[in-house]
Amino acid sequence: MHPQRSTPLPTLSRRSFLVGAGALGAGLTLAGCAAPGGAAGVTEISFYVSKPEVIGYFDTLIAQFHKTQSTVRVIRDSTSNMSADFVRNRPPDLGCWNYNFSMVQFVERGALSDLSDMSEADRINPDIKPLLAATADYPGRTSVIPYSLTAASVLYNRDLFDQHGLAVPTTWDELVRVCEIFLAAGISPFFNTYKDTWTVAQGLFDYTVGGMLDVSAFFSNLKTEGTAVDASSAVSFQKNFEEPMTRVGELAKYANHNAASRGYGDGNLAFAQGKAAMYLQGPWALNEFAKTNPTMKVGTFPLPVTNDPGDLKVRVNVDLALWIPEVSTKKDAARQFLSFLMQPEIQNKYNADNNAFGTTKDAPPTTNPALIGMQQYYDDAAFYLGASQLIPSGIPVANYAQSIALGSSPIPVLKQIDGDWARLALRS
Amino acid sequence: MTSQISLAPPSTGGERMPVNADSVAARARTRGERFNWPVTIALLVGTLAVLIPLYVTLTMAFKTTAQAVDGNAFSLPAPFSVDGFVQAWTLTDFPRSFAISIGVSVISVVGTIILSAFAAFAISRNWNRRFFRWSFYYLLAAIFLPFPVLALSQVKLTGLLHLDNPIGVAILHIMFQLGFSVLLFTAFLRSIPEELEESARLDGASTAQVFWQLIFPLLAPMSATVGIFAFLVSWNDFVMPSLITSNPALQTLPVLQQIFQTQFSNNYNVSFASYLMAMAPAIIVYLFTQRWVMSGVTQGAIK
Amino acid sequence: MAVVPPSQVNRRVHKPQRVGATYYAFLLPVLVLFSLAITLPAIMGIFYSFTNSVGFGDYSFIGVINYIALFSDPTILGAYGFTIGFALVTVAVVNVAAFLLAIGLTARIRGKVALRALYVLPMVVSGIVIAYVFNFLFSNSLPELASALGIAPLEQSLLANPDLAWIAIVIVTAWQAIPSTILIYIAGILAIPSDVYEAAALDGASGARQLWSITVPLTAGYILINVIIGFKNFLNSYDIIVGLTNGGPGTSTTSIAMSIFNGFTNGDYSYQMANATIFFFIAIAIALLQLRVTRGKASV
Repeated sequence: MHPQRSTPLPTLSRRSFLVGAGALGAGLTLAGCAAPGGAAGVTEISFYVSKPEVIGYFDTLIAQFHKTQSTVRVIRDSTSNMSADFVRNRPPDLGCWNYNFSMVQFVERGALSDLSDMSEADRINPDIKPLLAATADYPGRTSVIPYSLTAASVLYNRDLFDQHGLAVPTTWDELVRVCEIFLAAGISPFFNTYKDTWTVAQGLFDYTVGGMLDVSAFFSNLKTEGTAVDASSAVSFQKNFEEPMTRVGELAKYANHNAASRGYGDGNLAFAQGKAAMYLQGPWALNEFAKTNPTMKVGTFPLPVTNDPGDLKVRVNVDLALWIPEVSTKKDAARQFLSFLMQPEIQNKYNADNNAFGTTKDAPPTTNPALIGMQQYYDDAAFYLGASQLIPSGIPVANYAQSIALGSSPIPVLKQIDGDWARLALRS
Repeated sequence: MTSQISLAPPSTGGERMPVNADSVAARARTRGERFNWPVTIALLVGTLAVLIPLYVTLTMAFKTTAQAVDGNAFSLPAPFSVDGFVQAWTLTDFPRSFAISIGVSVISVVGTIILSAFAAFAISRNWNRRFFRWSFYYLLAAIFLPFPVLALSQVKLTGLLHLDNPIGVAILHIMFQLGFSVLLFTAFLRSIPEELEESARLDGASTAQVFWQLIFPLLAPMSATVGIFAFLVSWNDFVMPSLITSNPALQTLPVLQQIFQTQFSNNYNVSFASYLMAMAPAIIVYLFTQRWVMSGVTQGAIK
Repeated sequence: MAVVPPSQVNRRVHKPQRVGATYYAFLLPVLVLFSLAITLPAIMGIFYSFTNSVGFGDYSFIGVINYIALFSDPTILGAYGFTIGFALVTVAVVNVAAFLLAIGLTARIRGKVALRALYVLPMVVSGIVIAYVFNFLFSNSLPELASALGIAPLEQSLLANPDLAWIAIVIVTAWQAIPSTILIYIAGILAIPSDVYEAAALDGASGARQLWSITVPLTAGYILINVIIGFKNFLNSYDIIVGLTNGGPGTSTTSIAMSIFNGFTNGDYSYQMANATIFFFIAIAIALLQLRVTRGKASV
């Protein structure tokens, strides 16, 4: 006795289904187990670069490399998860990645090989080395070779400034004056995008902190305090960051009224459409402006938060750094490709084409009119790492910065960060 | 604590055609009775909540990059452009990643249905035995395990066993779906009376034969439901493949689509085009199995 | 009047011993595979919560320090409060809406197949797309609409309001969760033979009375499944929250899953393992509570 169905089911032979799945499975297994490495004498290395805007660029470089020699073949990887790769003990042979807190766990546990014996290591600008050490360090080892440095400060609309006869401000008072003039003219001085927390962290938060404090010194002192970070310690967030955060509140007055509901995309659009005079973003936004306004005239200047022009500095980060893991079995081949990438004509062209600064002693000055405003600060080593990049991601500093920008009183928030930091020190 | 969750209505005996809301409605239509218009209209209005977001998705995919960032989500594409699709196709190596995604999802669906049907059958027919009852709770408890607890350890283990590839991903997908699928199957099995099995056994059938020839076909409607859920979870998943598969050439589509999700660059027309292309199989699978689900579930009322 | 289906009658006495072996053969391989793939990694993960490991390399055993730190971390405690409250509200909203919609979709309506397909369609849309679209709708469309209609409270984006942003998250989560819930409810409703309704109608029961006394009890098992699984899914909310608010404004909408993932691949691994372990036990405890509360009501 079989139940009647109200509609006939399509006949699908169980066996054919399983056979099909089995064939797929076999095919996938074979593909997965395919032995790597090609013909004899050819070494294949995996090269990890995940920055989407430059994937195509590096593919061209890889093709170039293949033309110049035939013993090393480079396979580009843009999707692997670095933590998983290191856990599996199969990291890429050459990594080309942003150097920030994501790298700390690999550097500090000695997972990256020492590159100090390479000639390229000697060509690195010595002013950049403290930046590397502040982020992550393994004593006695050159864990990475920095490849590209991005400098970020205030982007400004040169046409709007010219129309109102304004020069670039170099002190806090001058900045306020510039803002008042734009406000009176009905133009929003700044366009802020509080909805995207990372923009607040890298913009308002980092620029005000970097313009007033010695960021590296602050964090190295903080580390020595360990778990005793609070109101009474020598350095603390609530003590040292109070002034910069007050500036954040003051600057918020000169921002667009709908900043709370605007995001990165809205900001790029508005700035490119000339709806604001200044925009706290980095050079990565330049390509976004070009989508809306390809002929826009943009300039840069560091955000003044004190009345001493000597405090002016730009925020930098090592956008790309090259490294070779300790467990790689193809270090020589990886080093070959590393040397290829570090050739001046190649590295300098990369940085020129991608709105970045070089990392070597002989790096040529930028010719990009948008970035020229920062060249002098780069040359004088008047730069700092963004404070938000030196706080471990377990502490949601971007969210905290957002609440201050939205109007929360700074001290309670800073106390929270102190508490988080102390807890972090406790369990490390 | 009882888990005798009965999903079957009280038995009314007899061999009858399923008579439920759908067949009553069908009979009413053939008799020319009125439709329930107020409910129909209310439901139509409700579909706006579904159609508006889908409209935005569709129009965005056909815009040019310049128009995609102009902040007007509701505007129609002008000019109409398939540039997003072209870029998405190349950047995600669409044919290959699509094929791998399909492979993983198919294995995951088939494996989930078969393994959980096995387990559910054994459990529901031996509910009185402690071992089977506790196995049920064991499998169920794992539903509540947060993935991060397991993730890196699974990465290590799959690396050791040479399963750091799509096969390993498919196996893990099956394991994660087991608890939920066993739950659904056991609930459904309660409505299949054991007398059917008894009479088959009296005719000399072994348990294995009873399962494959009698029970499994009857499970079809719930297999379809389990299958849809397993397919969608596996198809859209990107966290696990990004962690488990070590060879970038063997990545699934969702992982490669992450390339567009950069913080610094808005390429909505490309990413939406990519998501539309990825949605197509999911829609097809749903429509295909919808008939199984809707029609066959009524088997629960059959005696 | 409760009628017990024959399948529930205890048949232990009549079960011949020899069928036991095949049942074990059906179950054991599944259990073994499952334990290797899930239980073993879980135990390893829980072990790491007592260390300061970053997932690879050297680590040292630090005992319960991670757990102590957890209980004094206001962000984590806030995340638990927000997530549990959010899950409770969302599970109620989703199940009430899905149940009513399922009843509507099994009524005598026109265009049933098309309507059912439309309502289940959101299931196939990826979370990132949903987050983008709704982010735009809440940040731009809704405020514009509100200014045009003069509804003052909604003129500011919901997402920018630390006290109300959670409402937006509930709406979007519900949008994504209702379709699959409807699917299961429709299955349950179609399993009810209509002569039960006809008999009740003959007895003079109104539509509402039929709903409450027939439909609800007879789909109680499915309601329970949806509530338990739904609650667990909402406790794990991640994609939608990141896409809409990234845990903001401030940390007002930070979920547990967010804090776990944040530290997970950035060196705060073992701390978040402790967080995840506690989360696991809390989730199970709530599920057991739900089962206990509905015990007896879900059986017919």
